[in-house]
Parts: sequence; C-alpha cells; structure tokens
Amino acid sequence: MAEVDDTNTLLFQEDDHRTAYIFTPTYGVEQTAAQNQNARPAKRRRTSKKGANASAPELEPEPQSELGAPRSAGEADFPPLFNGAESLHAAGLRRTTFETAWPVLNGRIQNVLRRANRETLDEVALFMREAGAEAETAGGKIPAGFIITGPNIASQDLLFEQLAEGLSEATGAKVVRLRSAGAPNLKAVLKKIIRDATSRGADGGDDAEVSVGSDGRKYLNYDLEALHVFLTAQDSRRVIVAFEDSEAFDSGLLADLIALFHSWHDRIHFSVLFGVATSVDLFQQRLLKATAQQLYGAQFDVVQADSVLESVFMGAVAGSRAALRLGPSLLQSLLERQKDQVAGVHNFISSLKYAYMCHFYANPLSVLLAEEGVLAIEPLQPEHLEAVRTLDSFKQHVEAAVDARQLAHAQSLLENDEYLVAQVLEQTQKRKDYLSQLLRSLHLISATGLHPGRFTDLYVSALADGIDLSSDVPPMLDSIRRLNPSQIIDLVHRLLTAISKGNPDLDLEGWEDQEESEELRSCLTDLSDEVQALLDQSKLSGKSLKSKYSSQSKILRTTVVAQKVQLSHDTATLTEADKAFSKAVDNLTELLSRFIHCEPVGGLLLHEAWVYDSKSPYRDVFVPRPATTFARALSRPHDYLGCACCSKPDGGLVPTFPTTSILYHLYLEAGALLNVADLWSAYYTLVGEESELALDERTALVRFYQGLAELKLMGFVKPSKKKADHVAKLKWL
Amino acid sequence: MARKSATGQEPATRRTGRERVDPYEVPDEAPEEAPATKRRRGPNKPKPANVQPKAAESQPLVEDSAVENEEREGKLTNGISQGDGGDTDEQGTDQPVEEPTPVKKRLGRPPGSKNRGGGTPNGKTSTPSAARRKQPAAETPLKLNGLNGIDTPSRRNFADRSARRKSARALIDRVVGDDVSDDEDGIAREIYESSEDDDDDNDDNDKGHPDDQESPDDEGPTAATPSKTPARRGRKPGPGKARKRSPTPPRDLPPQEQYFYHNKPGRAKTSNNTLSALDLLTHDEYFSLLRQQQQQADRHADDVRFLQTLHAESFAQWAFELSQGFSACLYGYGTKRPLLHQFARHLSSSSATTHKAHNPPAPKIVVVNGYVQTTSIRDILAVLGTAIAPAQRLVSGNPVAMAQTLLKTLTATTPPQTIYLVINSIDAPPLRRTAAQAILAQLAAHPQVRLVCSADTPDFHLLWDSGLRSALNFVFHDCTTFAPYGAEVDVVDEVHELLGRLARRAGGKDGVTFVLRSLPENAKSLFRLLVAEVLTIMEDGGNGNGAAADGPGIEYRMLYNKAVEEFICSSEMAFRTLLKEFHDHQIITSHKDSIGTELLSLPFRKEELEGILEDLMS
Repeated sequence: MAEVDDTNTLLFQEDDHRTAYIFTPTYGVEQTAAQNQNARPAKRRRTSKKGANASAPELEPEPQSELGAPRSAGEADFPPLFNGAESLHAAGLRRTTFETAWPVLNGRIQNVLRRANRETLDEVALFMREAGAEAETAGGKIPAGFIITGPNIASQDLLFEQLAEGLSEATGAKVVRLRSAGAPNLKAVLKKIIRDATSRGADGGDDAEVSVGSDGRKYLNYDLEALHVFLTAQDSRRVIVAFEDSEAFDSGLLADLIALFHSWHDRIHFSVLFGVATSVDLFQQRLLKATAQQLYGAQFDVVQADSVLESVFMGAVAGSRAALRLGPSLLQSLLERQKDQVAGVHNFISSLKYAYMCHFYANPLSVLLAEEGVLAIEPLQPEHLEAVRTLDSFKQHVEAAVDARQLAHAQSLLENDEYLVAQVLEQTQKRKDYLSQLLRSLHLISATGLHPGRFTDLYVSALADGIDLSSDVPPMLDSIRRLNPSQIIDLVHRLLTAISKGNPDLDLEGWEDQEESEELRSCLTDLSDEVQALLDQSKLSGKSLKSKYSSQSKILRTTVVAQKVQLSHDTATLTEADKAFSKAVDNLTELLSRFIHCEPVGGLLLHEAWVYDSKSPYRDVFVPRPATTFARALSRPHDYLGCACCSKPDGGLVPTFPTTSILYHLYLEAGALLNVADLWSAYYTLVGEESELALDERTALVRFYQGLAELKLMGFVKPSKKKADHVAKLKWL
Repeated sequence: MARKSATGQEPATRRTGRERVDPYEVPDEAPEEAPATKRRRGPNKPKPANVQPKAAESQPLVEDSAVENEEREGKLTNGISQGDGGDTDEQGTDQPVEEPTPVKKRLGRPPGSKNRGGGTPNGKTSTPSAARRKQPAAETPLKLNGLNGIDTPSRRNFADRSARRKSARALIDRVVGDDVSDDEDGIAREIYESSEDDDDDNDDNDKGHPDDQESPDDEGPTAATPSKTPARRGRKPGPGKARKRSPTPPRDLPPQEQYFYHNKPGRAKTSNNTLSALDLLTHDEYFSLLRQQQQQADRHADDVRFLQTLHAESFAQWAFELSQGFSACLYGYGTKRPLLHQFARHLSSSSATTHKAHNPPAPKIVVVNGYVQTTSIRDILAVLGTAIAPAQRLVSGNPVAMAQTLLKTLTATTPPQTIYLVINSIDAPPLRRTAAQAILAQLAAHPQVRLVCSADTPDFHLLWDSGLRSALNFVFHDCTTFAPYGAEVDVVDEVHELLGRLARRAGGKDGVTFVLRSLPENAKSLFRLLVAEVLTIMEDGGNGNGAAADGPGIEYRMLYNKAVEEFICSSEMAFRTLLKEFHDHQIITSHKDSIGTELLSLPFRKEELEGILEDLMS
C-alpha cells in the first residue's frame, strides 16, 4: 500500500503489514530517522517558543539538537515551562515533588482499600477453615462462599487478590482465581486450575512434575488425577476455586465443574468462592437444582463502595498529608461521576492521580509545594515571579491592600522582587495554617454529630464557600441550642476528645497541647463544669433545666372561649438557673462559631499554586466523547485544519473539504440506506469537471473510493443486500 | 410501463386506486360507476365466502350495495375527514371478526350466482391487475361491515339519505378540497409503488433523491414518463400517509431521534440508480492514479502536517502518563499510525539518552498492527515473548496461559525490563474479540508494560467493560490527524466489498500469475485455454451465453472437450481437480444458466484477461 507519510515511506512500508514487530529505529535510514528524532524535541521547544515557526527545525544543525535531547526528551524530567525558559532545576523539582507527594497518598489509599476488605476476608477465612474441618466429617457437599461484591467488577480485583493471599495463609489451601474471560470451556478451566494450583506450590512452574506422576505415569494436563498426585506429594488436600465474576460464567460450565468437584471430593477437597454482583437468589436460579444441592455455603457482604469512597476521600483528598488540594468544582464533578456512572473507587483514584500529574506537569508554580528549604537555596526565577504577579489571587490581594491603604505593601509586591519572594515563601506557612484550621473545623463539626450531610459534601462546600457557623450553617447552631443540658455536656466532651485525639482518617493529630487550642479548651471545660453544676442544682430542686431556646420554653395555650378555640403563645417563665443555662448555651455557640470557621479557598493569596481546580483535562482524558469528536472533525474540518479554503460561515459543504468530510455530509442527508451511485454522482457534481476543483472522473473516483473506504473503516457503513449498489447506514452521531 | 402512464390520466384507474385508500369515496365520486365497481368486487369475494358458508349466502345484491354504500358514507363521514389512509386499514383488519354474523339472510336471496355473473367482465377491463391483485382480502369484508356494523339498512327515506350525502360531501370537500391534487398524488403513488415490485428494472428516477437530475447515468425509462416527473416534483406531500414519507428528515434532531426517523418501517426511499454505467477501479488503475495524485501536493498537506506536529508536542506528556501507569488511547479521524510511529521513535530516542546513565536496560518497543487481517493475539504474544526474553522460546498454546508465562518472565527480569506496547487500531476487527482485549488488558495492567494504542471508530470505548477499563487504565487523547488512512485499509477491496462486487479473489492479474506459478503445467494450459475461449466469446458478441455479472461464460462441457482435445487432461476427474484449484483461488466462478447448463467464467475485465493471456503465452 502506498505510504502517505512522505518522510517515513522507506522506513515502515514493510512493517505496516506485519502483525507485530519489535520496533527499532532502523539504521539504514539513520539519516532521516535521526534527524527526525532529534529534530522533534527541538521542534517542540521551538514551536512552543515562537509558535508558528514549525518548519525551521528540519534545518537545525545536528549537534545542537543532540545537546537538547538528553535534557528535554527523557521521561525522567518534565519539559521546561514558561516557553522553555524555566530552569531545568525547577522542572526537576516539580518532578521530584510529584514523586514524593503521590506515593505517600497512594500508600494511604491502598491501606484504606485493604482495610476496607479486612472484615470480609476474616469472615471468609473463618468459614473456610471451619468448612475444611467439617469437610472431613460431613463430606458430601462442597463448601461455597458467596461474596456479594456489588456491580462494580473493577474493584473486585483487589478483593480477590487479598482473598487468595489470606486464604492460602489461613487454610494452607491452594487458591485458584478464575475469570469468565479465561474460562471458555471445561477443559480450559481444568487446565487452568491444575496449572495454577500446581505452579504456585512448586514455585517456578515445574510442568514436568505435574504431567509425570510419581510412578512415572503421564497425565493429560486437564486430568484432575495429576492435581491429586501433586497434592498428595505436597501433603495437602484442599483447593479453593474462586469464580470472580460468577454471573458471567456459562451456567452449564458451572454445573459441570461443580459436579466434577463433587465426584472428586473424596480425594481432593474443593471449596468454591463466588463473586456475586447481583444477589445469591438470582445466582442460584441460574444453577441447576442438582448443582445447588451439592453446595452448602454462606453469604458475605463487602463494604459498600460509598463508604470506601468516603474513607479514600478523607485520607487522600481531605487528609492533611495530601500536598495538593483539589478544588471544589473538580471534586464536585468527580463525586458526581462516581454517583452517576457507578464508577469504581479505582476511577476516583486514577482521576486523583491524574490531577496531581497535571498540576505538577503543567503548573510552574507547583515548585512552591516543594519541601521547605529547597526553594530558599535556589531562588525563584524572574519568570516565576512574573507568573505570580499575573495570578488572580495576587491581583485580588493587591487590590485589597490598596483598599486597605497598605500602599507600601502593595507597591513592593508589585515592584520589589525580593519582597515578593519573601511574601511567597511566607505563604507556605499560611497554607499550612489554613489547612489545619480547615481540617480542625471540619473535624469539630463532624465531632458534634449534628451535621446531616456526608463528609465529602461538607468538605467540598467548605472549600467552595468557607465555613461560617453563624451565617451559613444555621441548622447546626440551632440544633446545638435545642440540646438539653446533658446533651450539651456530652457535646462538649465530644469536642474535647476530638481536640485531644485528632482524626486518624484525616491524618489530623490532636492539638490539645498547642496554645491555639488553649482558649477553646479552657472555655469548653468551664462551660461544661458550669452546665454540670446547673444540672446538679436543678436535680436537687426537682425542676428541669431549660434554656430559652428549648422547645418546651414556649407553651401553646388552647383556650375555649364561647365555643371558639383561642391559641396563644406563652413564654414560660425562666428561672435563674434556666437563664444561666441559656447564657451558657449562647456562650457555647458563640465559642464554636469563633473557632470553627474558615475562608473559601479561592480567596487565598497564591492558592493557584496548591489548589488544582480545572475540570477540562480531567473530562477530556477520562470521559472522552469520541462520537462528538468524529462528528466535528468530519462536519467542520476547518476546525482542525485551520485552512482558509474550507471555512464557510454557515458551515455548509465546500468542495475543498477532504473527501471523507464531503461524503460524511452527504451521508448525513441520506436515510438508513444509501445509494452509492447517487452518492457518487453527488460527489462528482461537487468536485467534478464543472466545479471549481475540476477533477477528472477517474481522479475523483479514486478519492471517492478512499473516502468510502474510510467511512467503512470507521464503521459508518456496511454492505447491504437490500438493493444493488446500496450500503446501510450504521452511525447516527 | 403502460400501467404507470395509465395512473396519471384515466379516471377509472384513479378511482380504483382510491378504492384501495378509501373505499367509501368511490360511490360518492361517481355514483353511476358504483355498480360496476361492486360487480368487480364480486369475484374477489370467494375467499371469505368459501371460508364461511353463510357469508357466501350473504353476498349483497348489486343494487343494494350501492344504496348501502351511500348510507355508510354518511355514517362514516368523520372517519373520512380525519384521514383517508389509516382507518381503512383498521377497518380491514377487524372485518373477519364481524364477518360471520349472518344478518343478511334477511334479504333472502339465493347465494350469489348473480353477483359472480355480473361482476367479472366489468372489473377486468377497468382495473389494472396489480392494483387489484393486492386488494381483494382487505376489500371484501368492508362491504360486510357495511351491512353488519351499521344499523339495519332498512328503507330509510331518500330525502334523509340525500341530505346526509350532501353533508358528507360538503365535509369531505372542505377537508380534502384544496388538496385534491395531493390526494390524487397519493393514489397515484400507491398504484405506482405496488407496480414497482413487479417490474424492478423500471427506473423510477422521480422518487425525490436530490441528485438524480445530475446523475450522469440517468437511463432511458425517465424519458418514457416525461409528464409525470416534473408534476410530481412540484407537489408537496399531502397529509396523512404522504407526510411520513417526506425524504428529508427534519434537521437538528438528536442522533437517537434520527435513528428512529431513518429506521421507520417501510421501504427506504432511494433511487434505483446503479453504478453499472461506471467502470469500477481495479487495483492497478487505483494505484497508478494514486501515484499520480501523490505527485501533486494535496491542498491540505501542510495543515495535516501542522496538526501532526501539534500532537507531537504532547509526546513528553504521553510518555509521562505512560510512566505513571496509565495507558494512552488516541482517537479521532485520520490515521494515527505515523504519529504513533513517531512517538515510538521519541520513546526509543529518549530512552537511549536517559537510560545510558542508569541501570535499567533500554525499554523495548513492540508495535502491533491491529488492522492487519491476520493479526491474532497469539502472534502478538509471541513477538512480545521475543522482546522480553529473546533466548527463551515461548511455549505456544492457550493465549491466556501464554500471557501468564510472559508476565511471569517479565517480572523476573532483572533489572526490570520495560516494554512499550504500541497498538495501531486496537478496535480493528481482528482484535475486537473480548478474549483478545482481556489479554491486552492483562498485559497493560502489569507495571512494566506500557500500552499506547490508537482507535479508529467512534464507538471504540464499547470494547471494554468496567473491569477491562480499570485494568487498562486509559487516558484518552483527541488526536484527529486528518491524515489519509494508508496501510489500514485496502481501499479497492473494501469499496467493492461494500458494493457487493467482491468475491475475495486473487488480486487481479498479478494474483492470477502468482497462483498459476505454483500450479502444474497442465493447469496453466487449461487456464490459458479458458482465458482464450472467454476472450473469443467476448470478441464474438459481448455477452454470449451468460450475461451474468461475471461476464461471459463458457460451457463446462465445451471446455472439457477442448481440454481433452488438447491433451490437457484425460478424464473428467482430472479436469475437475484442475478446476477445483482455480475455484479455491477464486480465479474462476461457475454458475448455472436458466436451463441448467453449467457455465464457467472469469471474474476479470477484458483488458485484464488480455494481460493474463499475454503473460501465459510468453
């Protein structure tokens, strides 16, 4: 086939029709290849520097590009930003910062995931152990564990990996994991079972050992006798077979397999595990009665994806060890996707990682997240400062400073680089303060137990709108006010514990020995003492203690006067103790709203350096819309090509369109069946001799062929037998 | 043809057409004709009559039916005004239920010798056969309904009746009035279409395809019906049935609505044009023209190249994503093969420079061309095996097992070897099976394997379920390149397959030569003989015996005799064996003609045949 890419014609004409080959930049065409490969990074820098100057690199002298290659092209370093003006050091720093930041989080996430499955694992292991013991005596039936994994098969992998590890430890059995894709028929399944069961024990897969028994007999590789012989040699008799996606297995296959296991029961103790996505009842309906009778089992539930997500979120997104903060709008869309698309936790983690990658790869200011001290040694480049000065948050800050008559401050920020650097470095501390304030506030709020929503929502709204108890979360203060005295005391105690313990999920340590908390703590303690005293007093006096807020304080009076009902509110008189209590409650709410607060993240100076809140790369990369892309490319090619000839204000059909585009336009006009003859004549009218392109018939036909073949390649049409020379339409984009 | 032209002018025909659309109007329009129509209906009746003996008895008399028809017309005015098409069908379908009630006994007439006698001759002359053939089943019961469904056709006074008739007519006029022409159009269309089934070679160019006028291969038949075409064009489709048929869909429908719009039941409206007038391209011609075209630069070549450089700027980013355990998937219109190739080169060059200093060996890059027809997952694994451990031979067998061994070997490599798996067209048919994708996902999930692939169809993401998706861990990039597809698609074959013109066969002249080279001498002689004979037939007078799509054919028997004469073979058995070889390579085709003679023909054009003959003679 003719090669269109002119530079590469020589190079891969032959390779194009090979199924697979090992790529080697051939030395026969060294000249072009080398030039290309070296020119390319140079080209990239060049284009990014000067935009349009794309054709120059071909002429670029070899040595220079060779110098360039090791620095920029490697996967070890990020390409320098600021149009290439960023120092290599800074670029490297971004990379190292990323490489230190992510693994920490990843470790945490894996931890959370593993912990989430722990309980299920223990239960299953216990069941299997007992079943193993019973099997000796009871016999007859195969122990089966039904694990309700939920619909997301993506998250099963980790679970079954853990199961395999845990069970082989706990019961000393061989564990074989089966997936429906790898199990087309009985023979293949048996082969796999035997192979997996034997190789794991033999540690290195001595196939010979399997196929030749101790007495020199050879076994077929799907003969369970081979497994039996192997297990006898290993002095173990148990094999656990895990069906990861049980619903996807052919039920006939399952029946055969279980019958077979059953018949081997006296020699090999098989146990089975089923990952069930729907429910055990539904699954059982798919099995034959005879098959079901050969099983006895128990059902295990896995922690629901929601709660797993919550803990991952707390650890990795909100947790204090997360270097980068995801902005509220990105988080919101991530969480929505989790809900709407039933995406697994894995998707969330991938998205999270990708956000990290984007931030450190593309944001030059992400160097500011580097560990302390590093930045001080290597002063920031002028470009960094310039970038800082263009930030929205910087502008806001300066404007605010001007408004506040801090003119000197504003001026030095704008003009004095050193001053700015100092300010910028100061922000690191401010960021930390802000975050700890944010997390403590959130922690306290959840410690009160009075916030109705989930933590994720709380966090997102806190980032977006800040926390201000006195104004925007009135329900919470109200509910505090309505508490009765003992509940108030409980609340205060909870808060105190929260302060002292911190929150391990959030990586938040207790802060009771820090001075900021002293006031809060002493006030809280005083308050609880006071309320306690009042409570004791009231108990003595036999009167219940109430505040002016408590609902009992208002009494609805119903009087019947002359056969009419009169309703009247009546404020019960408050005793002195009650008044004191009301005051204590007021104090408490005032105290809480003073200590539990934080600003929205968008208002902070330089938050762009540590908050990533861009939705677009995430959406493009994880939730692509290929249909739209294809439709756009084909219907409006100039959007991509940027050529002058094809753009027409109304977006109509122009003869200079690429052939496939023209055909696509005609395709759109047609119904479910297309007459190729008419398609051809329409096309030819458009580009043929009488048009501005004036192609002769055969040339036009060649293009027509290419276009039609491409439409077919992209799956837009297929042959149709309904009429001669017709094709059927397949895509409605 | 005669039938068609008749539809346009003759009132009688039109009426029968209307009858099918809406029988109630018939008597109304031409009362004096009604008896004739009824009589014509008579002979159509036997079907229900035979099924239900009593129904036969209940055949209405001619005079009666005319009266009843008028009456029914009054009753059903509403139905008519609402729409003329739909209700007919409904009526037609519930007929059989009501049919059995023998109300008509009341009439006390002897069963219908009279009807039959009277009906037949008239009907035959006045209606075109096709139209009549279609309608009898639906037609007959209507009359019964008229009798049963409506209250007794007792002698109502005539004044009453005529008033009713008048009002009915007024109503009809008001509703249909302006659109009479449309209505006619509808009827004409009905008749026209029903006849279309019978004579397919008739070319109805007037079916509203916008491009017909320009079509270079407009054929004769259009001229035969000159009056009709322009007239039909001018009119707008009428209400009811006709509206559904409007050929252009409303614009700006969402895709799913368009799908349903296009897939409405009913015949698709396309013209009957064929490409028969056009000489299709052969491989030879295609490539020679293509080569010529490549001499002149395409007007978009620069833009395409620029797009490519634009995408190439992201190479470092992609490499980074790959290194972080993501797989990259490039989608968008245009071939991504050169881009991926360039990317592979980028990877190998960057690794060459960075890895020199470090310990890990340079990563290996394995390129897979998914679009190659013969691609199988086994081949891919085998190549991967050589890439990972050149010395070790991968035991071939079950691909799943192969993949497992492969990954085990990979894990064991010290220092860890990185493999880049570059897949062109991961959504090409050979790789579409779930099993293949599952193995690819399994490979991609391994930390030392980095997968980058391209996808050419807009719905490629349906290849993977959520399990595979999470194993593959894709990031998607829009890489619309607009570069023409090259190796991915065999243009001529694909198009011919689309058109149903392709029996996968040895490619043209070269293919035949190639096949013959591996065959014994007498096979070559036989083929030469065959080519010569076919060419002679072509010279003699074109089509000879077999005017099939494959060109002229030669009789099997005749060829055998000639072959024996020339000592190419001695028995029919040997002859068959030789032919079978040709068949296997699809360089001959055979078919039977109308009287059962077996004909052999060659699926090549004359010029090609001449070329082949020259080759064989030299």
